[in-house]
Amino acid sequence: MIDTNETPRLRLTAIAKRFGAVRAIQHADLIVRAGKVHALVGENGAGKSTMIKIVAGAETADTGEIEFEGERVRLGSTTAAIALGIATVYQEPQLFPELTVAENIFLGRELKRAGRVDWAAQNAKVVELLELLGLPERYATAEVGTLSVAEQQQVSIAKALASDATVLILDEPSAILTDAEIEVLFDVVRRLTAAGVAVVYISHRLDELFRIADEVTVMRDGRTIGTYPITELSVRQIAHLMVGEELSDARPHREVPEGPAVLELRGLSRAGKFRDVDVSVRAGEIVALYGLVGSGVSEIAACVYGIDRSTGGQLLIGADPVDIRSPGQAQRLGIALLPANRKVEGMFGFQSIAFNISAGHLGLLSRFGVWVDRAREKAVALKLIERLAVKTPHERQPISAMSGGNAQKVVLARQLVERPKVLVLAEPTQGVDVGAKEEIHRLITELAEEGTAVLVVTSDLPEALRIADRIQVVRGGTTTDEFGPDASQVDLLAAAAGGSE
Amino acid sequence: MTAVAEARIRRRVLPAPVTGQEFVLVGVIVALWAALAISTPAFLTAGSIQPLLVATAPVALVGVAMTIVIITGGIDVSVGGAIMVCSVLTAKALVGPEVSLGVAVLLSVAAGGLLGLVNGVLIAYGRVHAIIITFGTANLFMFLGLQIFGSGTVNGIPGTLAFFGRGPDGRTLGIPHAFLITLLITAAAWWYLRHTAGGRHFFAIGGDPQAARLAGVRVQRRVLLAYVLTGLLVGLASCFVIAQGTSTLDQSVGAGKELAVIAAVVIGGTSIMGGRGSVLGTLLGALLVQSVASGVTQLGWRSQLSDLFVGIFIIVAVGADLLRARARRNR
Amino acid sequence: MTAATVQAPAESPAAKILRVLLTQRIALLAVLIVVVVVTFFVNDAGGYLTAPYDFDYMSASLINAIPLAMLGLAELLVILSGRGGIDLSVGAIVSLAGMVFGFAYGEWGWPLWLAILATAGFGALLGAVNGFLVSYIGFPALIATLATFYAYKSLAIVINNQQPISTKPIQELFSLSKSVELPLFGQYVPDVPLGIFTFLLPTVVAVWLLLARTSYGRRLYAIGTNDVAARWAGLPVRDTRFKAYVYAGLISGLVAVVTVGQFASARPDAGVSGNGMALPAITIAVLGGVAITGGIGRVAGVVLATLLIVWLNAGILLAFVGNEGSQYQLLALGAVLVFAALLNGLTNRKYGGSQ
Repeated sequence: MIDTNETPRLRLTAIAKRFGAVRAIQHADLIVRAGKVHALVGENGAGKSTMIKIVAGAETADTGEIEFEGERVRLGSTTAAIALGIATVYQEPQLFPELTVAENIFLGRELKRAGRVDWAAQNAKVVELLELLGLPERYATAEVGTLSVAEQQQVSIAKALASDATVLILDEPSAILTDAEIEVLFDVVRRLTAAGVAVVYISHRLDELFRIADEVTVMRDGRTIGTYPITELSVRQIAHLMVGEELSDARPHREVPEGPAVLELRGLSRAGKFRDVDVSVRAGEIVALYGLVGSGVSEIAACVYGIDRSTGGQLLIGADPVDIRSPGQAQRLGIALLPANRKVEGMFGFQSIAFNISAGHLGLLSRFGVWVDRAREKAVALKLIERLAVKTPHERQPISAMSGGNAQKVVLARQLVERPKVLVLAEPTQGVDVGAKEEIHRLITELAEEGTAVLVVTSDLPEALRIADRIQVVRGGTTTDEFGPDASQVDLLAAAAGGSE
Repeated sequence: MTAVAEARIRRRVLPAPVTGQEFVLVGVIVALWAALAISTPAFLTAGSIQPLLVATAPVALVGVAMTIVIITGGIDVSVGGAIMVCSVLTAKALVGPEVSLGVAVLLSVAAGGLLGLVNGVLIAYGRVHAIIITFGTANLFMFLGLQIFGSGTVNGIPGTLAFFGRGPDGRTLGIPHAFLITLLITAAAWWYLRHTAGGRHFFAIGGDPQAARLAGVRVQRRVLLAYVLTGLLVGLASCFVIAQGTSTLDQSVGAGKELAVIAAVVIGGTSIMGGRGSVLGTLLGALLVQSVASGVTQLGWRSQLSDLFVGIFIIVAVGADLLRARARRNR
Repeated sequence: MTAATVQAPAESPAAKILRVLLTQRIALLAVLIVVVVVTFFVNDAGGYLTAPYDFDYMSASLINAIPLAMLGLAELLVILSGRGGIDLSVGAIVSLAGMVFGFAYGEWGWPLWLAILATAGFGALLGAVNGFLVSYIGFPALIATLATFYAYKSLAIVINNQQPISTKPIQELFSLSKSVELPLFGQYVPDVPLGIFTFLLPTVVAVWLLLARTSYGRRLYAIGTNDVAARWAGLPVRDTRFKAYVYAGLISGLVAVVTVGQFASARPDAGVSGNGMALPAITIAVLGGVAITGGIGRVAGVVLATLLIVWLNAGILLAFVGNEGSQYQLLALGAVLVFAALLNGLTNRKYGGSQ
């Protein structure tokens, strides 16, 4: 497919890696060339992040070969990879906000003269780097904390290049950027390739690959499906390669009762995050808001639940417009929300299952609102443990000792204590094993059958298709197309990743 | 890049040499002194300012090290106890063996360094929160100090340490030596924190110790150094404390000093959360607190009223910082 | 992730005892109390002590447990609330509220119950200032309470021109500190200081009920464990944290009454002289297993830690002559605290935390 005369900068052959019983990568090949942008795409769980970690030296492959400039190498640690010139820029910038850009770039390997830091030499080097990246030289002496997220990402790139990187891995760099910022990023990437750097570019947003990538490697289920010049592909074709053969998901068609919307978002907006979002959910209906990471989809959930305030548009419960200022108020209106980040937003780590379930419903589970009715609390906890099939010896088990799937069920159980009218689920099965995922999906359907209006906010494509009666695609911070349950994965992915040609 | 731009980048060394907080403090101190000078003519005289500077010195000196400790995200509440140990040890050495000035200072500094080492090892390698460890060692140090005291007080301390501030021999150009030395050490620490890799690493550790370790900073060693440095400066400050008093040292020496030092650091604009701070601010903070104390006495008010002002200063200084941070976030 | 369940390896009896002692702070404290008491009994029998260390003496020494345990519980509440919760101002509140009590009861002749109520309320008000600064403005607790420590301490001294209040009604309050014979079986057990029943036990029971039985207690543990998750669960995070400081102030106000009674005088420096009362209170809380990071800590731990320190101190007083005794108490407190802290670190590494 691609001519392979020259020696590639980096070649990975027949890589395999397993974590315990999970085969993260079964068989993967990757060839990265000098001066080219190589895109790596695949759905969540396809093995992309494991591949990056292997290249960055953060994980070691079980089998397979890695060649750098034609030489066989071992990437046993991140320092080994950096020494070879392989640098990685992760999504979360690992920078020190109180230090300047130059200091951040040289931290731990300062240029010194007579025992003191040679600011002039460091600044000069940093200015050189910034010039290469087309960035303003004032960055050099600015404190990182005063820069925007996009600027901090550029600093991370500069930091990676300061160690004379010849291979630069960018892990979803565009997810946190606005359109204008993405232009700057592309400009930076083009300058780098012009200077001979090989760039590995991971992204969910397929449309942008056509503007920046030279070649695309597609991964699916722990395998590399193939590598293609970008010019030979369309968004639809890439989407097709990513999702593979469409399984005829034997999902019984559900009859959704007619009726007025229980939850409706009319042109809901939050400045800088999302705008003009329209979606409505009826009683007994499951609607999925499907969007890629960074599309604004997760911020919508936070706004419905009163964590963030909207800056425009309307939110209606029943037919009444409401202004939700706090999660407590949202709960009183009959809204429950399963947060996306289980560890940070959901779990009370070293507290028991019963504690985790009753938190947020203490008024209901107390006598006169003061004394916790412990018998009732226990009964509710046991009932929900049974209903959600949480695997635990007793309800006093600390949640931090449980597996991801079980912990997620406990946090979900908390949302069901008061039988909400509206249930919002943000990434309900992220970091959850397959068995628990099935069970959670079954439970969501059950809840809808009982008349709950369910809004699933997800970046997991098969999940959206499996459980939703309607799917609303979110792209670029706004709702775009709507699909029925019979839509194909390719259609959905193409709609969400841009370019529905 | 143009030559002009290059020169500008080279010149603008980082970070800004002084922060806003320091300017504000200078302004407040000047205003306070002016007000005091108007209301009590005796204030702006050598006889009033010199004791003020002598009293500022020990708090400001320990404050230099405390600033570094707090920049790393730690804290040391044992300095009061450590001051007690060093000063009683030194006072006894001066009374009994009648050691010379140099030996007394060395003894005090060495003793302080040893106490700092104990804290540093426990905190850097015991992986326990600094406030808890130093609460514990504070008690241990006080026990040690009281044991050395034996009976109530140490009497008849010779004037060996008068060099640091009491009387005309303790001054150069009218400035007490204790304050001069504090100025010099503050300047040295300011330079060290600004211009050396080791100094900058303290800030990185306070920002994110895990990321600092990954970047190649030797976190444990740096943390250990911060506490040892605190001990060393406590030793020197103890000499100032002895020099400040009469020929008697009683068991209340050092009591409550840890909070006075932390107050000076905080008023000076150092963030208790770590990662940001200035030794210059601490010096000004200590000077401000002492100026208020001196002013309150000279105005004939109850001396304890000055503590009320310390409390208010802390609230105002940190509150302003919080509001600034909030404004930055909302921007 | 793997679905396979991991079978815990069989544990030898010795390893099990070690694990229980390290992870169950209550068990460790109970064992240490027994060790301390037995050690002093043996020393007493051997004639090494200056006075008999017996149940009567242990009971009488409980007078010292009253302020210590009560302030330890105050620290428990604020440290539990998380985000670096701590209260350095409790001693200063004791001083200032004590002066208010002195005025109300000693000077203005208010009835005792009203004076106590007013003092507790005033303490709560001072605590509310802390809570407002920490919870609503966002001050680090260490800073806010350091500032109010200075302010309250200063006000306590200035309010009555540095003079203590020891009018007749105040002096007669000393009767509050006497020991009483228990009803029914009183002749078989030692007399117990009255304050245990009038102040300490009610506070212990109240705080225990608050933490273990009320919805407020649940909320407090929740925000201390993870205040982001608490917000997503719809809990009133700020209000809950604010109240923790108010309750701590209220308890400090009650301690002020106890202290005035013990001294038979409202002293302006009652809570801040020497090392003050905050340091020992925080020490007791930490020793009692309260995690400085919030969310972990129990009333029983604080009470047992108090008993350990009080009975250890009482024994030390008999083992050393004169001032030496009070000095060795510092050694014991410091050593026990460092030991407990290092133990916490070890437990975290070995077993992933304690309860």
